[in-house]
Order: sequence, then structure tokens, then C-alpha cells
Amino acid sequence: MINVALAGQPNSGKSTIFNMLSGVNQHVANYPGVTVDKKSAIVKHCGESYQIVDLPGTYSFSMFSLEERVAKSFLLDEDTDVIVNVVDASNLRRNLYLTFQLLELGKPVVMVLNMMDIATRRKIAIDIDMLAQMLNVQVVESVGSQQLGKAEILAAIERASQQAMTKPFKINYGELETYIAQLEQQITLESTIARRWLAIKALEYDDLILKKVGLTTESIRDISATIHARHDIDVDQSFARQRYDSADLVYHKCVAEKQLGKVNLTTKIDRLVLNRWLAFPILGLVIYLIYQLSIIGGYKLTNYTWPLFASLKNVVIDMVPEAQFIDVPPITDFAIWMVNSAIALLNYLPIFFILFALIAILEDVGYMPRMAFILDRVFRRYGLHGQSTLPLVLGGAFVGGCAVPGIMATKGIADERARLATILTVPYMNCLAKVPFYTLLLGAFFPNQMGQMMFYISTVTLFIALIVARFLTSTVLANHETALFIMELPPYHLPTIKGVLLRAFQRVYLYIKKVVTVVMAVAVVLFVLLQYPGVPEDEMAGFRGEADKALADFDRKAKKTGVYSLVDEQAEVFALINLYDGYKAKRMLAGSKKAVAALDRSFLAANPELFPLVRPESTDAKKINKAVRKLSKVNKRLQMAMKSEKIANSFLGMFGRALEPITRFSGFDWRVNVAFLSSFAARESAVATLGSIYENGQAGQRAEESIARDGAYTPLHAVAMLLFMILSPPCIATMVVVKLQSNSYKWMLFATFFPITLGIIISSLFFTLASSLGWSGIQMMQFFYICVAALALALAFIKIKPSAWQVGE
Amino acid sequence: MNQNAKASLLLSDLQQDQRGTIKMCVASGVLKQKLLNMGFIPGAEVLMIRNAPLRDPIEIGIQNYLLTVRRSEAKLIRVEVL
Repeated sequence: MINVALAGQPNSGKSTIFNMLSGVNQHVANYPGVTVDKKSAIVKHCGESYQIVDLPGTYSFSMFSLEERVAKSFLLDEDTDVIVNVVDASNLRRNLYLTFQLLELGKPVVMVLNMMDIATRRKIAIDIDMLAQMLNVQVVESVGSQQLGKAEILAAIERASQQAMTKPFKINYGELETYIAQLEQQITLESTIARRWLAIKALEYDDLILKKVGLTTESIRDISATIHARHDIDVDQSFARQRYDSADLVYHKCVAEKQLGKVNLTTKIDRLVLNRWLAFPILGLVIYLIYQLSIIGGYKLTNYTWPLFASLKNVVIDMVPEAQFIDVPPITDFAIWMVNSAIALLNYLPIFFILFALIAILEDVGYMPRMAFILDRVFRRYGLHGQSTLPLVLGGAFVGGCAVPGIMATKGIADERARLATILTVPYMNCLAKVPFYTLLLGAFFPNQMGQMMFYISTVTLFIALIVARFLTSTVLANHETALFIMELPPYHLPTIKGVLLRAFQRVYLYIKKVVTVVMAVAVVLFVLLQYPGVPEDEMAGFRGEADKALADFDRKAKKTGVYSLVDEQAEVFALINLYDGYKAKRMLAGSKKAVAALDRSFLAANPELFPLVRPESTDAKKINKAVRKLSKVNKRLQMAMKSEKIANSFLGMFGRALEPITRFSGFDWRVNVAFLSSFAARESAVATLGSIYENGQAGQRAEESIARDGAYTPLHAVAMLLFMILSPPCIATMVVVKLQSNSYKWMLFATFFPITLGIIISSLFFTLASSLGWSGIQMMQFFYICVAALALALAFIKIKPSAWQVGE
Repeated sequence: MNQNAKASLLLSDLQQDQRGTIKMCVASGVLKQKLLNMGFIPGAEVLMIRNAPLRDPIEIGIQNYLLTVRRSEAKLIRVEVL
């Protein structure tokens, strides 16, 4: 196996080249210990296997950014046989800066002149032979976006892996050469890396290299001082200047540009997109479109995907043992619970897929850094970064988003402190799954002010996120690494369909692999906590009595018909109920008349005796059908009542009661606690749990009504619950992603418990305040809103701790 | 007098569409290396392209590419107007 490393500057089209070489069978992992993506693929060419690794795009090999450190240590530690340097042909001069440093490594290099189409369009003529001769490397032309040059690149890699290096390339660093040579002699390390490269990096104070070759910073400082004293030059500056000068030299010998100074398309687009007056409207439009297409459009798509999941559920239900009237086998309960939990998460796949595809398009087009450019000033005030915009929008800037893709989109933020702060604040944005909970409570307590309350809820979240970000960056994150804001605005490019789809699939796959598995494991735990120890015996006896009465009633009615023989045994009655319920569930999914007819036929074939009672035609059958319908209703009511009892008695119920002393200040009783606890697995379950606790058995009454009529809560309680939900902790899926992106369990735990504490404190404070001052629910919400908005604005005017490189230091 | 004022101009002081050459970088450590790597080398030509809509950061052209820099960082670079 031959190891190939793909290196290049950002925006050189490196990933399109990687996609072209590797096809779809890419392996995505992380570099050890950091959250930088490591993409690799094994490519076969002429009977030899090549392992190609896509290094992060870097301008140089300094210690500045995580990407640069990762790329450098990869080249240092792994036995790379060939380096493929992807270069933007339309911007050769600047790209050479990295090329020189790759050449100095002393390994075979293949230079890929990518984006030749753009270079040709701009009338940039490159003398390939001259370039190859000057740099002593193979040079291959390609257009990654059009899949041009794959065979040539592979052939060049093959040749490079076979030839021995003849004459390694050298830049003449002038006065520094003597000192480089001295250091080379001091380095005894045996490695495949050229000593010259190690010596140069050591002179540049590269910690990583110094450690590797066993030199101290002090010794380098002495050398630098000597150089400065003798030649009056600055080492770093000298290196950079020589590299740029050499690039200039190569450029002038090899490149002829005929359209210098012509206004290009990027400049024209930027005049609009970054225009002082148009920038914000355009940004708003882009965000609105992302939101419409992904959240709204994706939600509509779920209308088409949910029948698929629902039929999957029916398949599972068909496989597990059937219920014997009110006695449902635990395994059946468990299977249905698991299927429901899985469906709740998988339901988001269409939304995620569209979102990830749109993000990939924005990344490829080059709009992302422009978005950061426009909004940086606002976000910096709160310790965030211009690049925090998209994650926060995805997290739910409007009526609802999802923290999972939001946090996954923090990957590109260069500033480590702002990146962590963004990861930790995205969960405060309006999660889509919180919306049913809001509507439930608003429907129950504020049916007439729903619009107003929804406005408060959806806008207050952004203020809260900003306040939390500011708080975290000036306290727990205060000493985290911040980066200089130097960001390239790349030329606009058309994205490739393959590249976009590939990335969208990779991210969805990551979600399924990492998130769904963990959530399923938690679902098992939650099931046990909610089901056991179960309904107490004496209560159970009561339920059984009711069930028996209903069965006896059915029996009496059935006896009066001519088809009694079909249902004179209890097992037959149970089978009939199950058939009735099963048919109803499937009938709901059958859309057309044709589908219904087909369904009827298959049911009749499977149950020739009982099915006529489910779809009755004779008078006798109709009577039985009516009785079964009643029985099925009783069954449902008893099941609900038992479920409610079961939750009240469950471990989670006990835990909810145990928390009452703390939560009573915010007005939460154990039922609310249980609902919040169960919402950790997935937010949707808060509504489901609250609904089933309040299920009082009266059929036809909606959860809103039963909560409102229950009498235990006032609108103030409702607002306290809303406040807690607004601040409440991320769901488990989000926690998993926080762990993935922050690469630390510590931050995951922090992201969980900080919001809980904050939520309890805030809701207790406002609940107590409102109850003692006799406010209405609306007043309480308004007061909260004003406080938060005022605090957020006030913080914007207080200067944040200045960066370490501020003038004067 | 005029000469002095010219020499002490900071990158952040350039007006839109004004060109300048870099005189020096008042930075140290990795920060200086980063600036050097990005092409902020004495003698290099810079073009002030525009302010962000909120005036900060700024967009400049250097070494044939477009860079955005915050004003706080642009203050580290001294330029001479062309």
C-alpha cells in the first residue's frame, strides 16, 4: 500500500480533487484527539493500492490554527510516500507559498494544477514544463469540478512513488542558510523527513518540531538574537519574504496573464452581496430560504416519509405477541416504545438531509465567510464570531430549528473560544420539537393570546443565547484560545452536485450512526424507568373488574345475534378486538379507494370468519361491530388509565416526586417533573407524557382541555413551565453532538446541567415574583421578555475583554 | 510633518479604494507568523476594498486575494499610502 497525502491551501478545490480520486467510498473519521475531519479512501490503480488522505486546507505550516497543526503532525508522523499538492491554477503565486514548504519536506510531490478552466477563461497561460523543471516535480493539469485529470493524477502518483528523489528543491534563504545548515547538523533524528525542513521549522519556533528533534526554545532564541545582531534581519519575516519572492520569481517565469486588472465576476457579485444597504436584506433572504426549504419543506416531506415509518411500525406490531384485551405483554409494549422512539428521530432525516445539502452548497459557493463578514460585529460583542450566524439560525432563529445540525455546523469556526461558546449556546435556540409543547400549554392557558406569546417565545431565545454566550466567554471560557479574525473571501464557485450530495449523505450517516444509536440505548433505560414497578395490585383489580364488566356486556349483546358462535370464546373476542384495531390502523394509511379494497381483500383472506364482523354487511354483523367498537373504546380508556397509573408509580414518577421540594418554587409538581425528565430522550415525549398523565379517560377530550380543566395549574404555572422549557437542557441527541464537536464529556455535562440550573432559577424567580405581585400570565411573560432584551442590549455596550494582541501589548 | 503622518497610517485608517504598501507589523509570536503567512510582508501592496455593512471588519485585497480583517487587527499593520 502506498500512502498519499493530499495537501493544499483552502479554496484550492482540494476536496473536489479528493472526491474525484476516491469516488463515493470515503472513510470519514477524526484526527486523533481533535474534531478535524479526516477523510481517506483507498484507490486501486494498475494493481497497486493507494491510501489517499485528505489533509485539512492550510495556508502554511505554522502553529497558528488547529488545521495547520493537524496537517503538519500528520506529515511528520505518518509514513507518507507521495504528497499531492493541489493548487489553484488561477492563483498560482499565492499557492506556491505552501508548495515550497511541501517540497522542502524532501518527499516526492505531484503538483495538481486545479481549476484550469477558470485559469483558461481568465486568459492565464501557464508554462507547465517550465514549472515542472523549476520545481523539479511532476505537474498535472485538472478540472476537479468536471472530473478531468483523474487518470493523469494517478499515473503521476504511480511514477512519483517509484522514482527516487533526485535533487530536492531548495529555496535560497540568503543569510539564514548558514544557520539552517548549523541546525541541520545538530538534528540527529532519523526520519523520512528532510533535516533541512526540520531545521527551518525549528528556526520558526515550531513547538511541535522542537519537541520532535529535542531542541529548546532558548537555543533558538539565542540563534535568532545572533542573526538579528549580525544581519539586522527578523527571522520570521525573512522566511516569509523569501518564500513570497521565490513565488514571484516562479510566477513571472511560468505564467503570462493577459487580462490583468479586469473586473471579475466575484468583484461584481460582492458589490451587491456586501453592499452597505443590500447586505442585510440579501442575508435575510438567504436565511429565510434555507429555513423555508429545509424546515418547512422538510417538514412537508415528512408527510410522505411518515407512512413509511408507520407501516414499519405495523410490521413490528404484527410480529410481536398480541394483546389479550387489557393485558398487553411487556415485550409488545417494549417493541412499540422502541419503534416509536426510533421513528421520532428518523422523522427528522428529510429535514436534516435538505439542511446539510444547503449548507454544503453555501460552503461551496463561498457565501459562508461573507455571512461572517457581515455579522461579525454583532456577534463579537457577545464573544461569538461572525461564523456563529449559521449554527444559531439552524438551531432555530424563527419558530423552530434543530440544535443537532446547528452544532454540527460549528465545525468551521476558526476561533476556538467562539466555537465552544456557539456549541454551548445553540441549544438555547428554538428547538422544533419544543413547539408542540408550547402550543399545548398556550392552547390550554392562553388560547386568545397565542400569537403574542409565540412571538415572545420565538424572539426571546436569541437574546438568551447571546446573553449566555457573553456570560460563558467571560467566565468559564475566558481563558480559551481565541483566534485572530483573518478570513479569506474566496472567489464564487458553482458547487458540484456530486460534492454536495456526498457531504449531505456523510453528515446524515454520521447522525444515524452516532446519535440514533445512543438515543435508542437511552430509550431502553427510559422504558424501564417509566414501566416499573408497575400498577399496584389493588388498582389493577379495579381495572380488571371494569374490563370484565365490559366483556360480559359484549357477551350479552352478542348472544342476541345469529353469529354468536364466532365469538363465544374469550380468545375469539380478544382476536376480534385486535383485528378491529389492526384494521383501523392500516386503513388510516390506505389513501385511495383501490388501496382500501386491496386491504379488505387481504384481511378477508387472512381472517375469513372474523373479518365480516369488522366490515359488517348483515344486520347481525353490524350489531356485533357496534359492540366491538364499544369494547375497543373501553379498552383504550383502560389502557390510558393504566398507563397514567403506571407512570405515577414508576421510578421516574418517584424521582419526579423527590424533586418536588426543589421545583415547587417554580410551581412544578411531580407530573411536570416527569414530563421534563422524559423529554431528555426526545423533546416530543414531553407532550406525550404530559398528555398521558392527564388522560382522564374521557374520550374526545383533547390534552389542552384536560390540562386546563384539571385545576391544579394557573396561567402563572404555565408561564413558569414555558420559561423552563425555553431554557431547558438539550435533548440526548444534542448532547451526543456536543460531545462529538467539543470532544469532551466535561462540556457535554456542562451543556446539560447549566441550562437545568438556569431554568430552575429563572422560572422559580419569576414564578415567585409573579405570584407575590399578583401578575397575570401575560404580564409575567412580558416582564421576563423586557428583562432579557434589556440585558442583552446592555451587554452589547459593555466592552468585552480585549484580545491579547490588542495594540500596546 | 506630512511625511510623518503618512508613515504612521494604520491599515484600519485607509479609505475605501485607497492603496498602500505595508511598512511593518506590530505583532509577535504565532500572530506575527500568521500575518506574514497571509502575505503581510513589508513592501507588499494592499487595497482597501470596503468596510463591512456595520463598518467592522474590513475587506482588503493583498497578494491577489480578498481578506477580511477586524479593525482591531488591522491596527497592528502600518502602511504607507500610494
